[in-house]
Amino acid sequence: MSSPLRVVHYVNQFFGGIGGEDQAHVGVTVRAGAVGPGRALETALGEGARVEATIVCGDNFASEQAEDAARTIGDELDRLKPDVLVAGPAFGSGRYGLACALACKVAQSRGVAAITAMHSENPGASSARREIYIVPTGTSTTSMPAALAALAPLARRLGRGETLGPAELEGYLGRGVRRVHDRGRPGYQRALDMLLDKLHGRPYRSEVPYAAPERVPPAPPIADLSRARIAMVTTGGLVRKGNPDKQVSANAVRYHRHEVAELESLSPSDWEAYHAGYFNHLVNSNPNYILPLSFLRDLERHGRIGKVHEHIYALPGVSTPVAVSAGHGRNIAADLKAGGVDGALLVAT
Amino acid sequence: MISAIYNFALTTGANRVIKGARIEHVCGDPTLSPEKDYAFGMRIVTRALETLTTAVAGPTLFDPMTPGTTPEADHAS
Amino acid sequence: MRLELGTFPVTDISFGSRTRYDAGRLTVDREAVLAAVRQDPRIATAELEIARPGESVRIWPVRDVIEPRVKVEGPGVCYPGICGRDIATVGEGRTHRLGGMGVVEVSSVNWHDAGGDFVETYLDMSGHYGAMYPYSRLWNLCLVVEPDATLGEEIKNYAVHKAALTVVDQLGEAVRTLTPPEREVFELRPVDPALPRVVYIWCVHSPQAMSGSPTAFCTTTYGLTQLTPPWYLHPNEILDGALTGPYRTAFAMSWTVANNPLFLDLYRRHGKDWNFLGVISLRTEWTTQTEKQLMANQTAKLAKQLSAQGAVVTWDAGGNEFIEVVRSIQACERLGIKTVFLTSEDDATDGAPTMLEPLPEADAIVSTSFFKNVTLGVPEAPAVARVIGLPTKKILRGSTIGLHGGADAALSTAGPLPVPWRYDDHYGFGSLSCIE
Repeated sequence: MSSPLRVVHYVNQFFGGIGGEDQAHVGVTVRAGAVGPGRALETALGEGARVEATIVCGDNFASEQAEDAARTIGDELDRLKPDVLVAGPAFGSGRYGLACALACKVAQSRGVAAITAMHSENPGASSARREIYIVPTGTSTTSMPAALAALAPLARRLGRGETLGPAELEGYLGRGVRRVHDRGRPGYQRALDMLLDKLHGRPYRSEVPYAAPERVPPAPPIADLSRARIAMVTTGGLVRKGNPDKQVSANAVRYHRHEVAELESLSPSDWEAYHAGYFNHLVNSNPNYILPLSFLRDLERHGRIGKVHEHIYALPGVSTPVAVSAGHGRNIAADLKAGGVDGALLVAT
Repeated sequence: MISAIYNFALTTGANRVIKGARIEHVCGDPTLSPEKDYAFGMRIVTRALETLTTAVAGPTLFDPMTPGTTPEADHAS
Repeated sequence: MRLELGTFPVTDISFGSRTRYDAGRLTVDREAVLAAVRQDPRIATAELEIARPGESVRIWPVRDVIEPRVKVEGPGVCYPGICGRDIATVGEGRTHRLGGMGVVEVSSVNWHDAGGDFVETYLDMSGHYGAMYPYSRLWNLCLVVEPDATLGEEIKNYAVHKAALTVVDQLGEAVRTLTPPEREVFELRPVDPALPRVVYIWCVHSPQAMSGSPTAFCTTTYGLTQLTPPWYLHPNEILDGALTGPYRTAFAMSWTVANNPLFLDLYRRHGKDWNFLGVISLRTEWTTQTEKQLMANQTAKLAKQLSAQGAVVTWDAGGNEFIEVVRSIQACERLGIKTVFLTSEDDATDGAPTMLEPLPEADAIVSTSFFKNVTLGVPEAPAVARVIGLPTKKILRGSTIGLHGGADAALSTAGPLPVPWRYDDHYGFGSLSCIE
């Protein structure tokens, strides 16, 4: 075996032996060697591994003075130059989990491999699972031995400069990166096996884990519609007649922005739908079905809304990967904001 | 967001969701006479504009035909 | 219902003076078969060609691959209802099949003229692209057929498919009176009541929404493609081809429906691992939330009324059809029916979800990997020595098929070709999957 594995352990004020909740405000301190559960970690890491130092930080400090904490932790890691940083395990403690996630991100930014462990529903996990390695644990410290046993081998390998394999095989929380993988047995057999496991109450693992969709805080309401600038966006695949912009009918890599300042309505002689996911003919007879310009102009004339925004945005919303859609959305939103738009109607097909 | 498949919009996190007519004609109904088609579309659009002036806490469904908010369609049979 | 299925394995196909089967060798009287096809005045041109496993041959455009099956005893005909065939309920008696072969429907007719759905499948009999599908291991008798150009699009579809079924019927006659070397009896016999009761929820695309027509051509149930409420089918009806006809992907052909390994395993293990109750077929692509939810509710109700304790669910489409499929799963789970969902996935970029509408009740998913060939990283199919069908393939820039950069192109079918848009292993033939 070559040189010893040099590990730095990050813990909070409690596991660092400073105190409980009353000491959560303490800043970053460094102790030589292993402290508290660090000793068990060192044992779990096995032959030739040494916890060189333990970074201790109060959970509230890590949360309220995050920049400060990050800088100090980073500087310590620059000084100590360990092979790997191990943070936690944080189990179900939310602030500790977030602090561990922070420590790992800092370590990675300074070129140090890092890994932590916490319960899969710890807020620290959802905040950072895409960027750092997190080994799932139980909710309480009673599962410390199991947590360390799961964490240690991966920490060793990261410390030796290895890249870990897929989450499902290695035992860390999925980072949302899915790759093609040959499972060696036909899908129909795997499906029937999973059915039997489920029917007989045996454990089974879905090949596609459930991931709750992102929640976005709602925009505050418009106070006065009669003075508001309203824009329209459609994923109904609206294009100029003849599709001179050569928009595709699915999996759009771009959206198009059109000028409607001079228009009272969308006329079927100038506009049509080009969208591979629904029967386009009805919209071709009346494009306002998917982009309600005629209605908004009417309301604008009657003073019910302040102004119809001069730009509309269109793309075919079918077969677009979620990440690409999110990009389109961000760009359109930025455009609308820059244009002084107060509210937008998005028509989806 | 105006959509005929609105529960899906709610599940995926759109906050102000208004029931559209059908996928192929979201803001209107070509089987109606032109006047009624337009009136129907106008109903949907004005309801949608109303939601922009309404505070919501999270994904919320609005029906052009009824005031207030609408509970998500009952799933269990 | 009791069905005896007799199999005549095909190990060679050649043209000869009479259509006959002898110890694996199928001889085809080309002129007699084509004469039968040409009896339909809607057919303009027809030719027959043979594609052998392993040959450097490409077949394009492929609309369907059909396994020859013929009803020998019992009511009705195989592949009932479609193209005006007899609609008597099938599944009883004796049926003969020619195993290890397919009749390939090769024609330029597109699915419908409303846009959005294009025939884009071609099949290679060798090479890396051919290896992805079961067809390269079959002996394929290809009917290259074109209809009268003045007909409406929908009629053209039925005309060329009927022509392919005429070939199927002609081959079936060759084995009608012979003794099959392999025989298997299929029935849902009473089993140990302790075995879990399982149903197969088979979701099938309806072209009604996309085409605007309730009679547009696609996979049919006794000849119907329109949006209908969930439909119970006895598994013997599936064996006799009650569910038949293609949708758009290489795995959605009459052949893969008739040889669906998930369905066959469910049936064959009846009485051993479970009590198989049969198939519930749900048509998809309803266009309102209410209709989608209604279908989901009724599918679950039907499964519950059949006393299902478990259900396996598959589908053959994409896009918003996912909604009624996943909500059927949700409705089943809420009625206490444990579900497993076999499905492909969409691109996962930046950790985005790969399912259109993730619902927590869909907690047992088996993935057949990304449905797009581009995400699977499948390289271009190589050049081939011979082409059956059209010499060029149009790649539209602005369509769902192929290239999105550059202009529209017509590429030589024989040359290297971009692979079709979708792989989509609907029934779990292969072992490709995804992992996080």
